[in-house]
Amino acid sequence: MSDRSNPVIRVRQLSIGYENRVVLRDVSFDVAPGEVFVILGGSGCGKSTLLKHLIGLHEPIEGEIWIGGENLVASGGEHRRRVMQKFGMMYQSGALFGSMTVLENVRLPLDAYTDLPEKAKTLIALSKLRLVGLAASAGKMPSELSGGMQKRAAIARAMAMDPGILFLDEPSAGLDPITSAGLDTLINQLSERFGITFVIVTHELPSIYSIADRVIMLDGRTKTIIAEGCPHHLRASAPDPWVRQFFNRQALGAA
Amino acid sequence: MPSTLPENPQQSLDKVAQVELSQPAEGISILRLGGCLDLKCATRLWSELPGKLSSLSSKTLEIDASGIESCDGAGMALLHHLASGGMTPGVPVHLSGLRPEFDTIFNSYSAPSGEDPEDPEGAPAKLSIPAGIGSALSGVKADFIEQISFIGHISSGIASTVFDRRMMRWPEVLRVFESAGVNALPIVSLISLLVGLIIAFESSQPLEQFGAQIFIANMIGLVMIRELGPMMTAIILAGRSGSAFAAELGTMKVNEELNALQTMGLDPVRFLVVQRVVAGVLLTPVLTLFSMIMGVLGGVIVMLSLGFPIVAIYNQIVSSVVLGDVLVGLAKGAVFGVIVSFVGCLRGLQTKKGPSAVGEAATRAVVSGILLIIVADATFSIFLFLLKK
Repeated sequence: MSDRSNPVIRVRQLSIGYENRVVLRDVSFDVAPGEVFVILGGSGCGKSTLLKHLIGLHEPIEGEIWIGGENLVASGGEHRRRVMQKFGMMYQSGALFGSMTVLENVRLPLDAYTDLPEKAKTLIALSKLRLVGLAASAGKMPSELSGGMQKRAAIARAMAMDPGILFLDEPSAGLDPITSAGLDTLINQLSERFGITFVIVTHELPSIYSIADRVIMLDGRTKTIIAEGCPHHLRASAPDPWVRQFFNRQALGAA
Repeated sequence: MPSTLPENPQQSLDKVAQVELSQPAEGISILRLGGCLDLKCATRLWSELPGKLSSLSSKTLEIDASGIESCDGAGMALLHHLASGGMTPGVPVHLSGLRPEFDTIFNSYSAPSGEDPEDPEGAPAKLSIPAGIGSALSGVKADFIEQISFIGHISSGIASTVFDRRMMRWPEVLRVFESAGVNALPIVSLISLLVGLIIAFESSQPLEQFGAQIFIANMIGLVMIRELGPMMTAIILAGRSGSAFAAELGTMKVNEELNALQTMGLDPVRFLVVQRVVAGVLLTPVLTLFSMIMGVLGGVIVMLSLGFPIVAIYNQIVSSVVLGDVLVGLAKGAVFGVIVSFVGCLRGLQTKKGPSAVGEAATRAVVSGILLIIVADATFSIFLFLLKK
């Protein structure tokens, strides 16, 4: 399924941080097309910061980020905007605009970037909402939705422009196991049927086992990647005992 | 009469969409779609196709989608719109040849039974003008009733809380007193001084024609002490602290802190509102006194600059203003203080959901606060007039 020789995201020697404080250094990895790629790590180790750098919200201290064959770090202005259209992002809280209905939220990127007629934009937005199972709530305001529904609506909005890559920040945090499993199924379907590449930050081990093709694990002490590979494989035979413990102990706790 | 849509030659070769519209027999049109049906191409076809299709005046439309190799959301929306007859009203449309891998995405465009996407539930219904007026009036009535019942709630809250040392939380009262009272002193003083100055200055010119400039002192004393002192203080307080109360309680409501209080068995009115109202009653007369003094001072400055000796100004003010006037002003201040903190808290507790709700609550607190202050001031005037008779 994944074509490792031609990655959609390529990160090289990336160092990131705030002001003088380095959060992560010398991070390199590739994400293959259609892959579900999970970024793991204890809280405060820089997972969300890394994600914010990958989508170009922050500038790295040094290093390169290539998305779809274009260098995000070196690009600016109009070019950067075009690179950023290749992906969609779901924020931890959903970040739906509270003054618009769910349908208007999903339509927003279409309104901003396309010249399609109204009817077409509504059709597309509704179809995205139907994919996440929310078409019946299209006319509601975000505040009328539950937390899980808000996250699904945010995924629909991220998909509005048919991006090849979706970044999800903690999609299952704070959701019940059934809703969270439903979200995992949705991610698997989207990756298999539409070949969408996912980059996901999450803590939930059950969900990692069911969706992740590959994980990288960040470490707050060494400030870099300490493990990389298939989660089942890492659980059994990671070289670092701490990583094995992370996978096994949490798995026991979650079982 | 066969007709074809010419392709845009600027598109790159591998990303081109093939569109071919033909009419092999009378009344039957065939639309062949192929290649890459993407956003760019769909945008163009969406505007071009309806005209082409209607010019053919066909009885049935066959869509052959077998050539489509790739397709994005916009292309699929176009295909679905075509297939469901959206571009050819009244003409039966038949779609064939769509590759099975596009089924999932194509089906996501059709509403399953039981779902009505055209009229999503929860969409607000448009009201006719009389119905709109009626609904607005009933809203005003409901709000009025709520205000009255809130007055009752606060009164009973104050009565039961003031002597309960644990519930009353005097440190909180002190904090509000400082943030809404002490910190407001500079702005209240400055505005009152300027208002006094302006009134004295503006009236000095017409009064000069009658040689009656000495009466500026009488006027400024009465106006600042009975009317404008309390009123200016209350309006500044409404803008400064009424809105702050509303935003504070509103944020607490949005963050479900008020629910948390209730779960702990604590009444938000007794726990949060009473302290603010008590602080409001205590601090407004003090601020009002400052405002009166500064306003009169403003008038005195103008009179001094006109050449009147300070003793003459003093005698004029003392002869026209009696202690009763000062007490009326301070009583007004206390009442306005209650109004400002009461309305601020009420609007805060009424905060609805959503991101703009807190801002809306703060706005409503200021607007209703100022309105009620003016209404109360008018009531005071009528009441005092009747009392004098």
